[in-house]
Order: sequence, then structure tokens, then C-alpha cells
Amino acid sequence: MSIPLASTADTELNIIQRLLNNVRQLGSLGFFSVLVVLVAIIPLLFIIQNSLELSTEKWLGLWSARLPGLLWNTLSLATLVALGCFILGVSSAWLIARRDFAGKKLATWLMVLPLAIPTYVFAHIYTIMLDSDGWLGQVWLSLFGDTTAIPDLYNIGGVTLVLSLAGFSYVFLLVKGALLRGNRSLEEAARIQGASPAQVFWRVNLPLLRPAIAASLAMVVLHVLSDFGAVSMLRFQTFTLSIYLQMSGRFDYQAAAGLSLVLVLLSLTFLVMERFFRHRQRYYSNAQSSFIKPQKATFGQQLLIWIWLGLISLFAFILPLAWMINWSWTSWTHALIGEEFWVYVKNSMTVAFLSATLALICAFPVAFYHARKRSLFSNSLFNLSTVGFVIPGPVIALGVITFLTTQLPLLYGGLIALIFALVVRFLPLASQAQEAAMQQLTPSIEQAGRILGAGPIENLRRIVLPMISGGIASAWVLVFIDAMKELPATLILRPTGFDTLPVRIWIEASEEMLELAAPAALMLVVGTLPAIWLMMRSDAKANKQA
Amino acid sequence: MKFYRIFSLFLILVAQSTFVNASDDALVIYSGRSDKFVKPVVEAFTQKTGIKVILHSAKSTALLNKLRVEGERTEADLFLSNDAGSLQAGTEQHLFQSIPDELVSVIDPALRARDNSWVGLSARARVLVVNTGKKDVQNIDSVFDLAKPQLKGRIAITNSTNGSFIAGATVYMRASDKYSTQKWLKGLKENAEGQVFNKHSKVVKEVASGKKDIGLINHYYFYRHLEKEPNAPIRLILPDQGDKGMGIAWNVAGIAISKYSKKQEQAKALVSYLISIEGQKMFAEVNREYPTRKDVSAHPDIPPLNSYKTANVPMVDLFTYRSETIELIEKLGMP
Repeated sequence: MSIPLASTADTELNIIQRLLNNVRQLGSLGFFSVLVVLVAIIPLLFIIQNSLELSTEKWLGLWSARLPGLLWNTLSLATLVALGCFILGVSSAWLIARRDFAGKKLATWLMVLPLAIPTYVFAHIYTIMLDSDGWLGQVWLSLFGDTTAIPDLYNIGGVTLVLSLAGFSYVFLLVKGALLRGNRSLEEAARIQGASPAQVFWRVNLPLLRPAIAASLAMVVLHVLSDFGAVSMLRFQTFTLSIYLQMSGRFDYQAAAGLSLVLVLLSLTFLVMERFFRHRQRYYSNAQSSFIKPQKATFGQQLLIWIWLGLISLFAFILPLAWMINWSWTSWTHALIGEEFWVYVKNSMTVAFLSATLALICAFPVAFYHARKRSLFSNSLFNLSTVGFVIPGPVIALGVITFLTTQLPLLYGGLIALIFALVVRFLPLASQAQEAAMQQLTPSIEQAGRILGAGPIENLRRIVLPMISGGIASAWVLVFIDAMKELPATLILRPTGFDTLPVRIWIEASEEMLELAAPAALMLVVGTLPAIWLMMRSDAKANKQA
Repeated sequence: MKFYRIFSLFLILVAQSTFVNASDDALVIYSGRSDKFVKPVVEAFTQKTGIKVILHSAKSTALLNKLRVEGERTEADLFLSNDAGSLQAGTEQHLFQSIPDELVSVIDPALRARDNSWVGLSARARVLVVNTGKKDVQNIDSVFDLAKPQLKGRIAITNSTNGSFIAGATVYMRASDKYSTQKWLKGLKENAEGQVFNKHSKVVKEVASGKKDIGLINHYYFYRHLEKEPNAPIRLILPDQGDKGMGIAWNVAGIAISKYSKKQEQAKALVSYLISIEGQKMFAEVNREYPTRKDVSAHPDIPPLNSYKTANVPMVDLFTYRSETIELIEKLGMP
């Protein structure tokens, strides 16, 4: 059989017609999400434009001299941190979701609070504590004596430790949610068939938890790929650090752009793969799943649980917090905290509030379109909207400045550039969290609303938004926390004379003014508390409904 | 309704933040130098002239990148950096404008750009610090000795991405030659045994505590440590002196006027204040650096300017040969 070949003119006409059709099919939702994605990829365009100026010869040079080492470092770090977060996050989530013990609420808080500490603060505090006259250094010396050197953090182990402590809470949150909503009957069936508790965990629970684990580990890996604070402080050569050094050491912008492009491609590949595997495994829970009652823990078990959870939170939160309070106290008594300190607090909160809210609004059409359509096109849009997260902060910053000064010069100055960059950067957090909530929305409810005469806007306001409010709240909180902590882009993009808490931490820490860096870090933790409280509350509500 | 109240608050915030523009009547300095060293002298300037100044602090190189992509939209009137290499990088990218000769002629030409597009304000010396209890390092008289095998495991240096380290190595490369510098770096790498330090202050601390015997630092870190611990067993060595010595490596902190500054007169007033005797004294003394103006004496604690020899390398070389140094360092895989 032969297929008749259409003439070129014909095909062109066809293509145009199809395009027009596509636009019509896109609808307003699709239109808005295309618009958002177009804005989100502006920094990517900047990278592409700059890396096009890279000659083939230089590409080859980069390829042979840098990429193998960088790829190895970055990928092994991502794997190790994912493993670390898996162990810490799943174990704590399991204990808290499935066991009843005293102080459970406190434990939950302690597992989430590390989110309030940025990676550069973790790295900073731990390097100081591990000094021979630091808290941990002293403990080490009194335990092992002078002969064994105190371990330092300037290696992959140290970076893994810091990033795992800073990131396991994401795994904890998502896995705990999945465990609470999970279906008990499968476990019971397995037990009846004679499986041991360990077997049940490995063969029933873990596979059922896979979507939650995958999603949270994806978030962890994205944080690792984009982390700048810990790797630069601990001098571990990953893509972000190398990109930064290209720009700052040699003023080689093309090489920096080339490396950024590779990093973006790497992360996109990772995201697509992750989504692909997640798609193949979807589990639907029965409408009448029995409510899971956590088992009462015996006294001995309670002790063991608290030893494990206590150990985690000791290193992930309590020690860093104690350090901050200690040094803040010193600077307070020396009257080093002036009026301007409260301005930094206000600035940080304003920036985080604005970017979280705007990111949420921008992410909505992208997430909603993706949840509704599930086409290759919506998928690509959704994935493209995530590029901002993995482009290193300094590169995003330069991209945003270039775009604004050349295309929209009137908007340059003030906070717009900074908010713009932060929204682009954290858009994926917002859209991922919203999309997850939207997936639980049955289209039939919406259709019922339409039948009863509600317009699309009213439908959105009265049905869709209230139903996904939990997801929206947690999306907002995630972005708010990350925007509070963001450093590299903020450092470059903040308006002149506009300092935020992370900027102050950076300035004081680079001058080794510990007693001045500590209050800013402490305030950062305090400032994120309301956001975390909001998240815990909506989390608790959601679990009550399930 | 709650929703609308939150929304209107949001709108107010947006509106307010869009018009954050503090710099209308003030000079803006993109500053890569520590706030606390710049603030006193800038405040004195404001008091004297009534011209307000906003310090926008970050890393020099990041600010330079910002200046470059902002182009004529920049709010910066001046750029202040602790590293001559960064200043010259701005010159090469045509980000600055020349400062009139009569304004800067009191400063040694080696300590400013050839076209006066930046001018050095204070200088620092790369020196050695030794622990006075370690007898055999007392007679070391060259930085190149740090690479000798008998100092294996006994030296304290910063990591090789440190700007002062790179600048120092660049000077040595220009004052001696590439081959010896490469050999030196290789020896340093071996002697450091994988342990390098993030900060110069840490280097001094290691030497003072006796964990290391000798360290390579900028001179003021020595005095900063003594200020905290006056009885620390450390001593300063001025290396590479004598007829055959190449001299001590210097680097300067300096200032440039942005090409697109809209307040050139005020900017020039600030520069001329920083070059004035009063300004020079204040700028250099807070950090115990050397004033670049010869007729202003340095802090009495530090070795007087005429008491030692400095390497005969113009500051602009710190940019020109910077990439070459970084390449050497990276090829060796220095930590």
C-alpha cells in the first residue's frame, strides 16, 4: 500500500489549520498557562543565547575537562542525599503515622522545623561546631582525644549530611500524608496470609508509598541540583558551584551559560523520567477504606522511638537552634541589634509573601491545565515551567536583569526584578503542590456545578478553590519558606540598599561576625514559623477528612 | 470577607514595593568591601558634604556582573572592591569612566588603572605568619619556601578559590616565572595534605594554636588576631626581601565611577574625599591597611611602608594574568 503524498502547499495549509485549531482548543486555561510558561523560560532563553556564543572548540574543552567530573559529583551527591532523606524521612513518617506515643505532636513539629533553616546556615553552623573549639569539636576531642582528627565537612559526606538534614522534611511530610490516607485492608490481608510485619512493610507498604516517596525525593533532588549555599560553603564542585566560579573567577559568561544549559537538560531528563515511572504506577484507594488507627506503643517502644526521633531533630534542628540562640544572646547583650535589624525582617517577609502569592497565582493555570488535559502538550508545558528551579540563582538573576533592562526598561528598579526571579524560580514548587491537590478533584463535581448554572468563574471560586484549598495552602507555604531562605538571586537582584535576612547572614558570615549572623538566622526561623503552622494546620484538617 | 481583606493587603504591598526607590537623592555604591570598614568613612563624608550614600554590599564579582548586565540602567554611581583584579575587569568591560588626572595624581600610578578608570585606596601585603615556638621556621624568608618538603603537613593556607590567594599567586607568577609558580603551587598542594582553610582568620588561628607552624595571609589578619588575643605566640615575617628577593605581593582595594552615573559631580566629590588625607587615613586605618597615598602614614602597628620591598608588578596584571593563574590552580587540582 502506498500513501499518497500531499503537495507541500497542502501540508503547509494543513499545518496552519491545525495550529489554529490547537489554539482554539487551548481555551483560556491553556492560553494562560502558555503565557506563564513563556515568562518562566525567559532565563532559559538567556542561557541559550549566551551559550550559542560558545565556540565548538570551547564546548569540546568543557566536555572533556569539566563535565565528567561535574556529572559524577552532582549525580553521586543527588543519589546520596536522596538516600539520606529517604532513611530519615520514611522512618520518622512511619513512626509518627503508625504509632501512638507521648509527645507525638511535638515530634511532628520537630520533623518539619528543619525546613526553616537554609542550607548555607546549616553548613556554616556545622563547620563552626566541628572546629576544635566548637561544641561538637570539643565533644569529639573529649571522647577520642587529640589523636583522631575531627571529621570535617569538606567532602561529599559532609555535603550529604548537610543537605539530608535540610531536606528530609519534604519526604517526611509527603510520606506521612500518604500513610495516614493509606488503605489498611491490604496490610491486614497480607498479615492474614502469614506475612511478617517486616515483609508487609517491604512488600505492601513501600510499593503503595512509592508515588509519595518518588514525588518527595524528586523535590529533594531538585533542591540538591539547585543548591548553592552548602556546596559553595563546603567547596564541593557541583554544577552550581562550577557555574558560579566560571562567572566570578574568570568572567567567562559563555562557559557558565553552557554549563547551566547542561544542568537544565539534566534536570529535565530527571523530571521526565520520574513522571514517567510515576505514571506507570498509580494506586487508587478504595472509597470505603477503613480508617487507620495508630498502634499504641509500649513504654520500651516509646523510648526507642524518641531516641531515634530525638537524634534526628537534635542534629537537624535543636543543635543549630541552640547555636543561633547562644550567639544571638551574645549580640543582644552587646547591643549589636539595632533598629535596622527589624527592617531586614520586614523586607524578608514582604519579599517572601509577595513571591509566594504571585507564584501561586501564576502556577494555577499551569497546574489546572495539566491536571485536566493530560496531553503531551500540557505535560511539556508543565515540565518547562520547572526549569526556573534548577537554573542557578546567579544565572537567573542575570537573565532577569538582561530581559528587563532590554525589553521592559520601565519596570526595572524597585522590587519587580527580585519578585520576578523568585516567582520564576519557585513556580514549580507551587504548581507541583497544586497539581497534586487537583488530581483528587473529580471532574463530575465541577460538571454538576456547571449544570446548576454556575459560570466558569463562579465554579472556580465556589467549588474548585475551596476543594483544593489545602493544596493551595501548602503550596503557598512551600514557596514562602523557600523564598525566605533564597540567597544567590536575592543578593544580586535586591533593590539598592534593600537588605533581607539571608543577605545579612551572608554579609556578616563572610566577615566572620558570628554574633551578627546568628540573630538574622534566628529571625529567619522565627519568621517561617507562622507559615509552618499554617501548613501543619491544613495538613491536620486534610487528614481528619480522609 | 477575609479573602478580600487579604487581597487588598497584597495589593497595597505590591504598590508599595514597586516604588521602593531610596536612591533618588543619594549616591549608590556597589560595594564588595566589608560594610563595617566602609561605613565610618562614608558617614564622615555625608556629614561633611550633606551627600547621602547608600551601600549596596555583595561579592565584588557578583556586583560587577550586575553592573555589566544593567548597562545604562544601573543605579550604581560607584563601584568599590577589595581586589584590583575585579576593578580592572570592570575597566576592560568599559563599565567605568576615567577620573580626572588632577584628582588622582597623588596616588602612585602602579596603584591605579592606566586610564584612571579606577584608583587604589588602600593596600594590603601578603605575608607569612609563624608560631614563635617552632624553631626551624623562624628563618624562613620566602613564600616559595612554603613548598619545601620539610614543611609537609605544617603549612596553613586558604583554599585556592580565595581571591587573595589567586591575586598573590598571580603576582608571584609575574615577579618570577610561570614554571616556578607552578612548582610552588604543586609543593603547596602536597604540603597542605588536603587540609586548607576557608578563611584567613582560621589560618592565623591554626598557627597561633600550634596546629600548624606557618601560614600565608594578608597582613591585617595578623593584627586582628592579636587584638583578640594579645599574647598569641605568633610573629609576622616579611618575605622575599634583600637584593635577590622579588618583594612582597600587594593588592589594593579601590574605587571606580560607573560610566552611567547620573551624579558624576557627587561621585567625584566622594572619590576626592577618599583620596584626601583625612579620608585616606580613615579608609585604611579601620582595617590596618596601607593608605595608597604616600604622604599619609600607615597605622603605627604595621611595618612602615619604606621598611620593605614590594614586588614590582602593576596592579592591572591582577586581572590580565588572573585566568592563567586559575588555569594553573585548576590543572593541579588544588583544593
